[in-house]
Amino acid sequence: MMNRLTRIALVMMAAMFNYRPNLNRYLKNSDGWINFTIGLKTSSGSVEQAIVFFDGRVSVLNRIPDDADAVMNFVDDKVLMAVVRITPNEMLNLILKNKIILEGNMAYLQAFNYFISLIMGRVHQKMLDKASAKERKERKALCDTGGLSREMEDRFAYRMKARADEDIGVKYLEDPYLAEYSLDDFPLIKRLHREHFNTKPAISSERPRLMTEWFRRNGFETDNRGQPWFPELRQAHAFKYLMANKVPVIRPGSLLAGTCAPEDVAVIIYPDTTGTMIWGELGSIDKRFLNPCSITKKTTEDLHDIYPFWAKRITREWIRDKYSYPLCQKIDERAVASFNFKTVSLSHTVPDVSAFINKGTKAMIAEIQEKMGSLKEDETGKADTLKSMVLCLEGLNAYAANLSKEALRLAGVERDANRKIELMTLHETCRRVPMLPARDMDEAVNALWVFWIGLVMENNNVSLSPGRLDQILQPFFEKAMEELSTGEERKQYIEHVIELLCCYFIRNAEHQNLVPDVANYLFSGSHAETAITLGGVTREGEDAVNDMTYIFLKVTEILSMRDPNMNARFKTGVNSDTYLKRLCEVNFITVATPSMHSDDAIMETLSHNYSNKIEDVRDWAVTGCVELTLSGKHMNHGGATSINMVSGLEMALNNGWHPLMNWHLGPKTGQVENGDFATFDEFYCAYARQIQFIIENAVQFNNMAAEAYAYLRPTPLLSVALQGAIDNAVDVTRGGAKYNTSGTFNIGLADVVDSLMVIKKLVFEDKKITFKQLKDAIDSNFENDPALHAMVMNKVPRFGSGDEEAVEMANQVASLIYYSYKAHKNFRGGDYTVGFWSVAQHSAYGALSGAIPGGRKAYQPFTPGLTPHPAASNSFLDNIRDVAKMNPRFMDNNIAFNVRLVPSAEDSREKTVNTMFSYIKSYFEQGGMQMQFNMVNTAVLKDAMANPENYKNLLVRISGYNAYFIHLSTDMQIEIIKRAEFGL
Amino acid sequence: MKDSPLILEIKGNSLDDGPGIRTVVFFKGCPLDCSWCHNPESKTCQVELSYDAKQCIGCGACVDSCPQGAISKNHRFFVDRRVCQLCFTCADNCPSGAMSKAGRQIDMNDLLTQVMRDKPFYLTSGGGVTLSGGEPTLHMDFLSELLRHLHQNDVHTLLETCGHFNFNQFEQKLSPYIDTIYMDLKLFDPGEHEAHCGVGNQLILENFERLLELSRSGMFELLPRTPLVPGITDKKENLGAIAGFLKAHGVQQAKLLSYNPTWHAKVSMMGKDNPLADQAEMNAWMSTEDIQNCKDIFHHNGIEV
Repeated sequence: MMNRLTRIALVMMAAMFNYRPNLNRYLKNSDGWINFTIGLKTSSGSVEQAIVFFDGRVSVLNRIPDDADAVMNFVDDKVLMAVVRITPNEMLNLILKNKIILEGNMAYLQAFNYFISLIMGRVHQKMLDKASAKERKERKALCDTGGLSREMEDRFAYRMKARADEDIGVKYLEDPYLAEYSLDDFPLIKRLHREHFNTKPAISSERPRLMTEWFRRNGFETDNRGQPWFPELRQAHAFKYLMANKVPVIRPGSLLAGTCAPEDVAVIIYPDTTGTMIWGELGSIDKRFLNPCSITKKTTEDLHDIYPFWAKRITREWIRDKYSYPLCQKIDERAVASFNFKTVSLSHTVPDVSAFINKGTKAMIAEIQEKMGSLKEDETGKADTLKSMVLCLEGLNAYAANLSKEALRLAGVERDANRKIELMTLHETCRRVPMLPARDMDEAVNALWVFWIGLVMENNNVSLSPGRLDQILQPFFEKAMEELSTGEERKQYIEHVIELLCCYFIRNAEHQNLVPDVANYLFSGSHAETAITLGGVTREGEDAVNDMTYIFLKVTEILSMRDPNMNARFKTGVNSDTYLKRLCEVNFITVATPSMHSDDAIMETLSHNYSNKIEDVRDWAVTGCVELTLSGKHMNHGGATSINMVSGLEMALNNGWHPLMNWHLGPKTGQVENGDFATFDEFYCAYARQIQFIIENAVQFNNMAAEAYAYLRPTPLLSVALQGAIDNAVDVTRGGAKYNTSGTFNIGLADVVDSLMVIKKLVFEDKKITFKQLKDAIDSNFENDPALHAMVMNKVPRFGSGDEEAVEMANQVASLIYYSYKAHKNFRGGDYTVGFWSVAQHSAYGALSGAIPGGRKAYQPFTPGLTPHPAASNSFLDNIRDVAKMNPRFMDNNIAFNVRLVPSAEDSREKTVNTMFSYIKSYFEQGGMQMQFNMVNTAVLKDAMANPENYKNLLVRISGYNAYFIHLSTDMQIEIIKRAEFGL
Repeated sequence: MKDSPLILEIKGNSLDDGPGIRTVVFFKGCPLDCSWCHNPESKTCQVELSYDAKQCIGCGACVDSCPQGAISKNHRFFVDRRVCQLCFTCADNCPSGAMSKAGRQIDMNDLLTQVMRDKPFYLTSGGGVTLSGGEPTLHMDFLSELLRHLHQNDVHTLLETCGHFNFNQFEQKLSPYIDTIYMDLKLFDPGEHEAHCGVGNQLILENFERLLELSRSGMFELLPRTPLVPGITDKKENLGAIAGFLKAHGVQQAKLLSYNPTWHAKVSMMGKDNPLADQAEMNAWMSTEDIQNCKDIFHHNGIEV
């Protein structure tokens, strides 16, 4: 019955595309007909149909041919029925919940989605509008008072001061905290800031259009003579073409020339990695509820024309074809046990920004050509690699030349005298940089920005990080200050620098990454994660905090933007307390940034990996979120792949079978129901084996992805910017950089440790329950045994409770992950590094994982990073002490640890900052590695009312009083929230 | 552990019980019996049974296990306290902790180990350990030993007290090891004090004067505090009298504690009736205006609050 219905639907679709010219034209693009076959079936076999798009005709088959490009496997008839009624975005959600399993080329599946949306367009739009209205209403009900903004405004209004003599690194700032300035003092910035936030991001097709144009003319796999392209050369030519032909834009009022795209706030498309993921959404992305992106008709048509060219030239598809859909890819595409990010982007690193600012492309080209001259005749690969680097630099130069012309043209028609001067200055600046060394701050930042545009034109705009800008720009600051003699001139210069950097921050936020709707729901979206790292020590080990450090902090404070992602290094005993307190204050004001890192713990772990390289170690910076990178010379790919540590647990509890995936993918390590585990150690071994299996496959897939990149998308411009690649004459995707690693992030540590403690204590040591009893409880999501759930939540020590055994268990699990990765090498011959941070993966993986012995219920998020569960202790200090006890050796790709701060209206700013300072100072002194503050505000308190199990340690701030927020009556909780909103 | 007092809670990461980050040790037992006490579980010196309905999952394990049959969901306070023999079988069997013992004995070494764990935070924040409750001075010897250990370990000590204790004992056993004392002056009129707090205030006022002398000799810091309780302590006459008393003794600094209306639920947890729960003003936070009026009374007497 279902089979007939499916067939009828497909036949109707085929007819529409066959007989309606306005639909039929979509079956074609510049390359010719878009040909592919999609199969649909149910697991039981009750349905099997296929739809074939071939040379402009659509037909329907009663069976799925062996060479179908992709197959949609529906778990049952019901799910298939539902598909007719949902939007493409919701389809992706069903896929993630493993209700629809996709096998095959994802790009063609997206094309199929797009074709469906062409027919169902209006229906889908109505459904989307209805769903959006509903969600808007629900959200309003939750946040009825809308009281957040008053709290936040108050935070900005008061600012602490400091004195120059409190920090010896400060040479010129009288008050390092720059308390006198607020956003109101910079009207240009205030306008640009407001405009930025009021601008809906737009999908931009400029980049993929220009590059595809070049590839169509000159070939991708082979050139016009039929010879295989050396990939680096091919990419470099296309890059140069793109840079020479992209529209040179100088935004009104901006002190920086150049933009990533013509659109004001642009989503950049990389069709060889993630671009095609929105193919199916092209009709609906404008109106979706979360993070809608506007898209013009022309852009839609451009992309539909471009995408088919890339359908088989996508990293993921390249692997699928070459390795015949290997097991590791199957596991990855279920997205539950692990998820690879290399297939999304391979850009996480800190390039050598200083070289572009201080050397200039002219000198770099000369250097490379000299190197080329020294090569032997047969070293053609190296010669081509170096040639591709030169081509990229020429591309940058061409773009700068175009910007210079544009500045001149704009100056010609500019009526405002001041702006005319600014534009003429930009005209001169772009004539000089990045070709020649920058002579002042404005040239330096312009050089950085043009270089950056080049980087994100070549490679995904995810986690490319400028690094230690305070160190790089300080010499320009000092030089300028020395040349100014009066206090007034110096003050004006400082204000100019603040304004310039604000422009840079806002510019940098203009390029956004592509977020398919599924990512909105799973990861709450993501952003470019351009990380800047402040403070710490110099290569020689001296205090690196300087004037620019504080200026950057001021810019961070007044803009309060999520990107660039600000990070601060702190070296205990070397950096001043004044600096640390300022970091705390900025965190308080902005609610979230900068993230703080301890040089002691981090340099300890880096020194272990890079012994005898102490200077490079001291020069470390953050990539992306928190990843550890040796600045300017380290192809670290900080966020290459992630694993779900809880999946290993679910598989160990189910003899290698995963409940949500309904798939026996792992090794058979023992059945709980059969009493196969006589001791805790036996179960722990089972966990270890499952984790090793997951890691093995994650690594294998990642290495395949790296191989795909080396062919599909080498990055010669980035190679110029990572030391080692020129000397070795090898592209960084092939291992040319001085240092080579792949960074991992591993999610669910606290949840796993707490669950293991439950098994160890309740089942094996105290023998309060049997293992089978526990298993039955989690299989029923604890619904069959609420008393057991309560016991698990209340009677077993957790990681973060101060219990020594739990901390030992955490270190043991961390070392298990560490050694499991170290057993493998990456594609470039480097090590895998181990991180315990999660971005928003703790939400995504949590949504795909069932209940676990630690008490977390099914599909709930894990704790972020390695943050202990809120139920671990009533006092954060226990959390802090335990996390500080983690061995840094096993965490060589950093961690993320969130600490909640409960401010009280009665606290002065000084008291709040001093408290934060005390937490983090003590934490670092005890060996802690990284910490970020989460300020508790009314939104959090409201969540605590709704979900008390996540807020066991939320204090009620009353003197002499012994109680916690979740224990108060509902009325009292509401009262407290109201008071917090109004600062009472 | 014969003389070992009962502890209600060791609360870490407190920012409101003295300077810096502190650990507060709440002792059980108090010589006073204030009608508004916001820690009603701290009044008696015996272990009591506490029932927190918010944590209860309704599993019935307590009902089944009670040898007296004292527990029933039909009872107003869930546990019939007249029948309950305080055997605590229910608490031992409760999986969620809703049924729990208020008050437990703790070994001095265990207590010290626990409070010393946060010493790094005390050092970086100018914090330390606060002794509160209940009334810590009911257990002079234990308190003395505890304070001595803390003092020897360079931990700042702060005592919150109602002031009703034997002064000689205090001077001998506690003074040498205390850095700061927060002492409550609640009601000035002796009759009112007895009516609302269960005992007169003569000893308290005398102790305050003698402590003031010691503080002036540099032994410790002393801060008088007055909890504002609507309709009881916040009356003009009372505050005026306290301010006058302080002024006469040359005291220039005091603290007023804003009323905390969240304590009512705790009384039910003890299975007791709460006559003040019905009064409207006892269920609300004080307005900023009212609090300012109270502060002004002290300001007029030259006292900073």
